[in-house]
Amino acid sequence: MNWRNRGKPLVIILTILLLLLILFPFFVMLSTMLKSGKEVYTSPPNWIPRKFVFSNFITVWKEYDLFGYFVSSFIIAIGATVFNTLLSVPAAYAVSRLRFPGRKLILYMFLVIQMFSPVIVVISLFKIIARIHLLDTYISLIITDTVFTLAFTTWMMNGYFKSIPIDIEEAALIDGCTRTQTITKIMLPIAVPGLVTTMIYTFIYAWNEFLFALSFIQSKPKMPLTIGLYNFVGRWSTQWQYLTMSAFYAIIPVLVLFYLIEKRLVAGLAGGAVKE
Amino acid sequence: MADTTGSLLVRKRSRWWNAEARLAYILLAPAVIVLVAFMFYPIIYVFLMSFFDTSKLGQLRAFVGFKNYRGLFATSDFWVITIRSIAWTAIGVVSKTLFGLIIALLLNVEYKGRKFSRLLFIIPWASAVPISAMLWEWVYNPEFGLLSHTLKMVGLWKHPPIWLGEPISAFFACMWVDIWIGIPFMALVFLAGMQSIPAERYESAYIDGVNSWQKFFYITLPGISELLMIATLLSSLWTFNDFNVIYILTKGGPGGSTDILITSVYKNGFEWLKFNTASVMAVVTFIILAIVSIVYARIYFRRESS
Repeated sequence: MNWRNRGKPLVIILTILLLLLILFPFFVMLSTMLKSGKEVYTSPPNWIPRKFVFSNFITVWKEYDLFGYFVSSFIIAIGATVFNTLLSVPAAYAVSRLRFPGRKLILYMFLVIQMFSPVIVVISLFKIIARIHLLDTYISLIITDTVFTLAFTTWMMNGYFKSIPIDIEEAALIDGCTRTQTITKIMLPIAVPGLVTTMIYTFIYAWNEFLFALSFIQSKPKMPLTIGLYNFVGRWSTQWQYLTMSAFYAIIPVLVLFYLIEKRLVAGLAGGAVKE
Repeated sequence: MADTTGSLLVRKRSRWWNAEARLAYILLAPAVIVLVAFMFYPIIYVFLMSFFDTSKLGQLRAFVGFKNYRGLFATSDFWVITIRSIAWTAIGVVSKTLFGLIIALLLNVEYKGRKFSRLLFIIPWASAVPISAMLWEWVYNPEFGLLSHTLKMVGLWKHPPIWLGEPISAFFACMWVDIWIGIPFMALVFLAGMQSIPAERYESAYIDGVNSWQKFFYITLPGISELLMIATLLSSLWTFNDFNVIYILTKGGPGGSTDILITSVYKNGFEWLKFNTASVMAVVTFIILAIVSIVYARIYFRRESS
């Protein structure tokens, strides 16, 4: 492939230029999070802080109730992940392994509702959540985050279950395993990579969720990171060195998790042809 | 697809059919119940609201037929917002596709550090959207933000606008953040598609002496055409649905100049308590989304069964 070799320097230059563009806000984050409060509001701004305030790494935990937001985000994300798994695994098993009237319709439904926007239902959901007295609770977000990830995770798990040869399960049934045992002892262990993917997907979704948290959570101690930080933005006096530092801390966990599932996620979204 | 899925019990004894179906329904029940209660019921309720006169608390008062629809369709605001949503989606998807193609082509070239650049290109998708949007708000700060400063310093733009403070620049500033978030998915899908094109095709083209452009248009592009279709459909759904970026950056302002349907639904409902308007807009949005989703599902099913 001749042009590839000839074009290599050009490719690398273009890549670097595009990376500078794409990573711009993260460079800004890294620059701002180490500035002093005074330097943040200096015009014109500097890319490299005149004085590196490394203590921001620590002080931000005292300035903001970052720990509390982290705890809330964790509770919501873990809760949604558990709830989602409990619902999606049996559902996925049913559509992938059992034959029943309405199976195709259900599969089709799961694919279509992946795309529904939370905004469409948030008004009526608010009323429902209020009526069952769940406003300002973690549970409200655990439920709604589960609902809006359920279709996709079921769909993904369906794909993983389907890829397991049916003979394995059949042999176990003949050997006297019950249906539940074949699911827990045979199917799930083989489908672990898929299960991990869907669990991480739900975790990230709940961690990043903004709209429901904005609408349902009112008291400060229950706020997840997204809303907690959002409440600091927009004021003229926003302490951007702390906000960017918090953003740094908030992004790291999802970044790591995302890299673990990125290939499977693309394959799941784009359909059969993209191989992992 | 249904036909290829084996069925354990049916293969053995068909009279187990009922037991098998019953087990399936039991396993599906929890998921379906939760979906009905927290997704389908709310959607139905929004449809109902759009045909009723509602109180400030969102309670249904009297059936009014299409009155809410006629009322909303008579305002020019609604049409401006709808057209803006379509423009937003079109500009967004086209830009994401172009950037995605360029980055995929670049990542498809082998060089040292390619894997690392791939990791870096993913970051906007991998990081939390609301947090990225907040970062961008700071980037766009006209006085202390590093974007305006850098543009001036490099000499690219001597007098950059007050990004989020003026209607047109605010629209494009939000647009860019949405595009920026959507690029990595496009790039990854296209890259995966390009890598699944057999190398022989390129090799025979090399023997025939075709140039790079011809290679791109006659081999690469046709090789990823179906993926291109699926990715742009998905991307148009996500772009159309992008509430977070606009709401965090401008809340639809200044003067409603960055409102699209999805932000308008939320503001009408939660801020102005205009449930009639909000529900009609939600229904319109729902119908648009449902149509695109069904097209996506059909294509997805077709490629899976082929």
